[in-house]
Amino acid sequence: MKTKLMLLLMGAGLILASCTKYPPSSDRLLEDLAVITQYDTKADFNSYKTYSLAPSITKVTDKDTTVMTGPTADAVLAQIDKDMQARGFVKVATTAKPDLGIEVVYYQNTTVYTYYYDYWGWYYPYYPYYPVYYSSYTTGLANIELIDLKTATTDRAYIRWNAYIRGLLTGSHTTAEITAKVDQAFIQTPQLVTTAK
Amino acid sequence: MRKIFFILSILVLSAVSLQAQNEPASLGFTPSSYYTFSWNTTFTMGDFNKWVGNASPAGFDLGGRYFINGGLAAGFNISWQRVSQIYQNETYTIPDKGIAITADNYRFTWMVPFQGVIAYHFMQDKMVSPYLGLGIGGDYMEHHLLIQEYDIYKTRWDFSLTPEVGALIKFGNFSSWGGLVAFNYKWTTNKIELYQTTSKNLQMLNLKVGLVLIVR
Repeated sequence: MKTKLMLLLMGAGLILASCTKYPPSSDRLLEDLAVITQYDTKADFNSYKTYSLAPSITKVTDKDTTVMTGPTADAVLAQIDKDMQARGFVKVATTAKPDLGIEVVYYQNTTVYTYYYDYWGWYYPYYPYYPVYYSSYTTGLANIELIDLKTATTDRAYIRWNAYIRGLLTGSHTTAEITAKVDQAFIQTPQLVTTAK
Repeated sequence: MRKIFFILSILVLSAVSLQAQNEPASLGFTPSSYYTFSWNTTFTMGDFNKWVGNASPAGFDLGGRYFINGGLAAGFNISWQRVSQIYQNETYTIPDKGIAITADNYRFTWMVPFQGVIAYHFMQDKMVSPYLGLGIGGDYMEHHLLIQEYDIYKTRWDFSLTPEVGALIKFGNFSSWGGLVAFNYKWTTNKIELYQTTSKNLQMLNLKVGLVLIVR
């Protein structure tokens, strides 16, 4: 009897040991796109009217930094324009002293560990450069930044809104899916709107 | 899922009842104790459904009962259970920080209940022995919200009460082995405060099907 009891307990122990509290990793949605936004809660977006958008997407890999081109990059920039204008902002040339500057940086195969202060250090070449420090990532990440150029000085500028879209441009998502996520970044920030004349 | 649960309940109770009528034979011995090992399916109820609404077959239960006076038995139960659900494209906000996150997310609760149990067996020495029981104890629970590789979680201990109805079905007059079918309702003081959801006094139904080792 003791043997049977021991066998039962051992069997139970084996099953117990084989079970994990976490669901299978295949169920854990690691490759799905996520949209993360943060806006400056102290910013008054009605005080801004005009913006300029960097004409290309900066691509940062763990090897080099290049300019990203192609239909997906164009579609992302066009979607940003569409959303900004739908919220009352007016696009102007960089030389027209816009209130806001937008740039998109795409990190591929790098793990981005961002730590930043609410100011930055220098211009590149016409646009403020966001001081993101990073290490290797396994998935892609696009960072859309909305920078306050009205208050920018030669040594600092404030980020009023940024959006991270993770998994973006990895090749496993269509352009339509990606632009929908760009749109989602604006949808989930209803505060980003202006009525300024 | 609820319908399946109730249909199963009726079928099992009917089968137990029929077997009790057709096989009134007694065991060839008087049990002094028994140990159970059962597969456990959980059906979340009430506030718990706001967190995870799916039934989950991911669970098992280990128990022991010792007859102390006639059909009256006392013992313990230790379990392992997980309930989980995927939510598509949901937005989570942290208004005071201006943060919003939209993503598919995976919510799950992992729990390890441990209870002292008292049960009364109506036909202790029969081939089919229905019982009523009450478990009193606690749970260790972890409530997890998974978004991509991020794991946001909280752990909580609680107090719990579990009334249970079930039956032992012996495999033979002199066999030390039998089957177990039981249902219980569990009420806990546990709560979830994650993902803009507050669920208090978590409740669930459990269906247990398993094996019994009967000790003379």
